[in-house]
Amino acid sequence: MSSAVSAGVPRWGWLLASFTRRELTDRYAGSFSGLAWTLLHPLAQLAIYAYVFNRIFRIGVPADYPGVRYLTFMAAALWPWIMFSEGLQRAMGSIAANAGLIRKVAFPHRLLVFAAILGTAAVHCVGFLAVLVVLRIAGEPIHLSGMPYAAALLVPYLLLAAGVGAFLAALQTLLRDVEHVMQVVLQVLFYASPILYPASLIPASLHGWVEINPLAWFSERLRTVLLHGGGFVAGDLGMTLACVAVFFAGLWFFERLSPHFEDFL
Amino acid sequence: MTLADVAAGAPGALSATREGDLIRLRGVSKDYPRISTGTDRLRTMAALLFRRRDIPHFRVLDDVDLDVRRGESLGVVGENGAGKSTLLKIIAGVVRPSAGEVRVAGRVGALLELGSGFHPEYTGRENIFLSSALMGLSRRETQEKLGEIVAFADIGEHIDEPIKHYSSGMTVRLGFAVASVLQPDVLITDEVLAVGDESFQKKCIAWLEAYLRDGGTLLLCSHSMYHVQTLCRHAVWIHQGKVRMAGASSDVTREYLTYHEEKRARASPAARAKGDLTRIVETWIEREDGERASIFRQGEALVLQALAYEPDDRPPVLLFGIVRADGTPVYGSHSHEAGYTPRRLAEREFAFAVRFEALALLPGKYHVRVHSLDPEGLRLFDTVELSFVVAGETRDYGLVELPHSWLPGRGR
Repeated sequence: MSSAVSAGVPRWGWLLASFTRRELTDRYAGSFSGLAWTLLHPLAQLAIYAYVFNRIFRIGVPADYPGVRYLTFMAAALWPWIMFSEGLQRAMGSIAANAGLIRKVAFPHRLLVFAAILGTAAVHCVGFLAVLVVLRIAGEPIHLSGMPYAAALLVPYLLLAAGVGAFLAALQTLLRDVEHVMQVVLQVLFYASPILYPASLIPASLHGWVEINPLAWFSERLRTVLLHGGGFVAGDLGMTLACVAVFFAGLWFFERLSPHFEDFL
Repeated sequence: MTLADVAAGAPGALSATREGDLIRLRGVSKDYPRISTGTDRLRTMAALLFRRRDIPHFRVLDDVDLDVRRGESLGVVGENGAGKSTLLKIIAGVVRPSAGEVRVAGRVGALLELGSGFHPEYTGRENIFLSSALMGLSRRETQEKLGEIVAFADIGEHIDEPIKHYSSGMTVRLGFAVASVLQPDVLITDEVLAVGDESFQKKCIAWLEAYLRDGGTLLLCSHSMYHVQTLCRHAVWIHQGKVRMAGASSDVTREYLTYHEEKRARASPAARAKGDLTRIVETWIEREDGERASIFRQGEALVLQALAYEPDDRPPVLLFGIVRADGTPVYGSHSHEAGYTPRRLAEREFAFAVRFEALALLPGKYHVRVHSLDPEGLRLFDTVELSFVVAGETRDYGLVELPHSWLPGRGR
């Protein structure tokens, strides 16, 4: 209503900042070392995957990444994936998690989705950066010049997460079982995308799928700019535009249903 | 608003932007979707997405019109589930109405139920920041007002403890403190005064009175008619989703209480006598000047008139009893005891009259039950019930005003 609209953007900016800060502190509110766990969890995942895939399944680093360890090869795509999937899940649950607020206070609900994505990204960007620095010190060939490009590539990746997250948050509020479906879907996407393994292992008949799978695209591209250096390619623009389109489509869907959330909470 | 209303020159049609109209609701309805199965959810979602309205629903608010002017104080009364909270949520912008038009021209501070928007894991101080952000304050503004908020809440060191350890009273204190310090154009409070101890209630009421004096606008939802009467000039009674009555708070609260009293008393319907027995032909109440009436002022004279039929042409005995609408007996007496003989009007017909000099009853609705007994005053044959209202405003309590005077205290 008018009171919400007339006050304008700056006040929502501060509210978004408050929500994002809370998204960070929520993870350790009530627990002693919660934030540390948030940072350690991906490290544990990295260790497990590296051991299983490299030592047991004997998956190696392809020849076009000379001198790169499997651990480094995987880390470059794993953290962005964690940002994406965890951000998506937190965005999806953000409406239900803040039901008390939505039932009692008038504010733009999309801020909760954005805060979930921003908060998750902030936590894992810190972790990602720390891991890259450690690996670099350990002598891995990480191109520091590729970092700004990697950061830029993360923006459409996260916009995609926000768009899909907004769509799923609305769907979850109205339909409830989306969360369970998505757990399976995310698992499938994780293994279907070249995160733990190089894209070259994918059979030729499935290459078309890799081309249009944004997760595959970003995993490969992030790995390339970080481990090979180099700038943007033409495909980045197309993929970015697609992500922006998904972002606005998801937001449209969300905004269409968000006035009715209160009816379903 | 429909086209017909506009054509008919409905007052609201032209005055949409009139100065002073802070809240304006026209034809506001709210339906909640009826969802019990997964299919219902899917159908509801599709309907919402494509803006169709053919979903199974139940109506919580039905065609409500409401105007609140700047500086006005409006009490909202009604039974549980009548739609009061939904109405307040619509005005607060939390709920979007299914139909109708809502305009709110100003910043709304809403205290809907307990501790609006507090997070239990966070401390009181941290919650103040989020609450203020939600109410539209910047970080700097919040920091400036923090001391004032903490002082108003007056919960001591608990301010740095997680809200989950708070009592409900403390949570309300904090919520009220945030809302009060922000000086909203409209303050909406839903049963907030009911929680909190006596001294905090007094503090809240003192603050609300000052807020209203300074031109603030208040929407108060309360089950305490006392609070509604003292704080609100106007009131609206929501009944089954509709506005049942709107007007001066004293009138609305009185009617509302009467409704409750009658609901409680709806147990013993009067039984009319049958056959050729002593019965009441007609009974009515009138003013001193003989004009029949049903509304009296406190202190006015009231005359009860009755015509009774007695088959044996002997003067029957008349019994009257005044009860408040909820059935509480106030006073009763009978003609036999007083040695009274009714006037014989015609064969087998007798006229009675009882005069109450200065009605001491406090404002409210009352019933007079008139009974006819046999001439011996032993058997009760007929009962007729009349109602009347004592109008007026009072701050007194109880049923009747006992004659009294305030004196200078004598001391020990």
